[in-house]
Amino acid sequence: MLWYKAWLETRWRFLIGLAILMASACGTVFIYPQVQRLIPLAPSVDAGGELGRRVQEAVQLSREYRGYVWSQWFRQNLIQMWTVFAALLGAGGLLSQSSGGAVLYTLSMPASRTRLLGVRAAAGLVELVALAVVPSLLIPLLSPAVGDSYSVVDALAHSACLFLGGAVFFGLAVLLSTVFADIWRPLLIALAAAAVIAIGEQFVRDVSPVGLFRLMNGETYFRTRHLPWTGLLVTTAATTALLYGAASSIARRDF
Amino acid sequence: MLFRPNPSLGVPIYLQLMEQVKHAVETGALRPGDQLPGIRPLAEELVINPNTVAKAYRELEHDGVIELRHGAGAFVTAQGGGRKLADKVRAAQPVVAAAIERLRARGLTDEEIRRLFEAELAGLTRTGGQRG
Amino acid sequence: MADQLVVDVAGLRKHYGSIEAVRGLDLQVPRGSIYGLLGRNGAGKTTTIKVLLGMARPTAGSAHVFGLAADAPDASVEIRRRTGFVSEDKELYDYMTVAEIVRFTAAFYPRWRRDLEERYLRAFELPAAMKVKALSRGTRTKLALLLALCRGAELLVLDEPTAGLDPAVTEQVLQALVGHVARDETTIFFSSHQIAEVEQIADRIAIVDRGRAVLAGALDELRESFRRVQLVFDREAPHAVFRAAGVARVRRQGRVLTESSTGGAEPILEEARALGPVSVDVGPVTLKEIFLETVATED
Repeated sequence: MLWYKAWLETRWRFLIGLAILMASACGTVFIYPQVQRLIPLAPSVDAGGELGRRVQEAVQLSREYRGYVWSQWFRQNLIQMWTVFAALLGAGGLLSQSSGGAVLYTLSMPASRTRLLGVRAAAGLVELVALAVVPSLLIPLLSPAVGDSYSVVDALAHSACLFLGGAVFFGLAVLLSTVFADIWRPLLIALAAAAVIAIGEQFVRDVSPVGLFRLMNGETYFRTRHLPWTGLLVTTAATTALLYGAASSIARRDF
Repeated sequence: MLFRPNPSLGVPIYLQLMEQVKHAVETGALRPGDQLPGIRPLAEELVINPNTVAKAYRELEHDGVIELRHGAGAFVTAQGGGRKLADKVRAAQPVVAAAIERLRARGLTDEEIRRLFEAELAGLTRTGGQRG
Repeated sequence: MADQLVVDVAGLRKHYGSIEAVRGLDLQVPRGSIYGLLGRNGAGKTTTIKVLLGMARPTAGSAHVFGLAADAPDASVEIRRRTGFVSEDKELYDYMTVAEIVRFTAAFYPRWRRDLEERYLRAFELPAAMKVKALSRGTRTKLALLLALCRGAELLVLDEPTAGLDPAVTEQVLQALVGHVARDETTIFFSSHQIAEVEQIADRIAIVDRGRAVLAGALDELRESFRRVQLVFDREAPHAVFRAAGVARVRRQGRVLTESSTGGAEPILEEARALGPVSVDVGPVTLKEIFLETVATED
């Protein structure tokens, strides 16, 4: 019943996220023909510096469908929206005010705090997997409608990178939720952290070989068709550590 | 038949209950052999603590007003127990009446007489009259 | 078995930062009793209850329920398996319906009483399909009570179970509680401001003030031993210091000296008569008066 309760508490966030991401996936696919028509016009776009470089890169990638999907969907639309939902689903756990103030009632149940947190976290992770995989699978499903094809294996590989890499934001939101009683501070702090990391990565991208968002968008897989196992292992360990920290934090707390 | 005891009277509820039962026996509302309500149903009906009802019944049994038959319930004892109590009370009544008569003759008001009685009883019952 | 203590609190202390909510509380609840906890707001009643249920950990001292340590996490889960709880704010899951929250709770208790569930749903007139947030306060309290009573619990811990309820509903609630104790040999531990209802159903009480139990014991014994002695003098009442034990309060008003104590009137009367009063008046004291006298002397 704890699973059911976790579902009841997160279902709207999840369903809305799923709807948005699926719509975005559809949009990404169906816009491709227009993009194809615009590509020949690209060289005439005169923009210098970082922005110009980026535009040129996007154009280059989009010449090919696989590159387009990676550049627009996995590296941009999906990752940005998904990260927001990772923080959103992690915030406001079973033991926060979002339960409707009935914290004491939950705590009067014969279930350890670890179990209460664990079920809530597990439910959130399952929802995040769905949010990463389901919209992404729409791409191979719908691509034939625009005359192209996209590999299911690629979609799953990128989804895996996204989920395993980005789950740290979920873990962070869960940990923060054991410290703050409201839903907003964990959410905003986790999002702020994501923003800081994302922006920071932009600045060091030429210098540093690693980056969280680079991991999440599966750049290694895109270029080499090999999954970045080391990176994924590190982020999985980090997520586990954050959730473990959350369990310790909630076990000590007085209500 | 049994009324709700008043918790705020300052008289313990079990005593009020005992008084009600004794009064019912004296007036004949409860006759020898009649069964009293079970402890649990009575507690529920009067909305009082079942332990309180149990205590009242135990004391009534001690006074010989009722007997607790194991497994069967509480029954009013044969005429002997009831009459004994009623007789005691009836015999005491003229003693009290005479004392009050004499005190009134001395010019004491009823209020003063009542307070004298209470003070005496308070002094006497503190060590002697209390039951466990 | 009958002498076993369901709740045993010894020297309990609980600080929240610099606030001392409980400052050395002792409490013993025997099995099968209805135990009332009286006290002003902020006296430490809710904090004590939270400690018993593992929602807060003691700063010092010990608390045991069913002989298990309330601050040990595993033991606490076991305690909650055998305990029904109603919180002070009666907050439940707003977004669930009555039926859903009943099913949710029932899933945690293998000894769930389906028969009581049906009975109380009917008696309390709880609409199964209505969302909890749409229920009035009184109805929500009744629902909270149902959820506690149907767990098949040995102990019910209720924080102000009838607060904010109208007299009719209050009576319904008290009747359900008394019926529960009578039929299922449960122990009830409840805190309350409603002195009348404590007097009505409790057989043992404790008066808590500023984090300590200042008076505790069987209600009947307390009522029989708490006496008010009023002395009237034909002159200004003397400043008397009573050396007898248990004196709670002495008040002087003109020619009247009023003294209240827990030790019965006997010990006082000797000293009282020595003062030479015109009249000595001994009277019983209601629980409300006992409460006010006991709590007031701490000032």
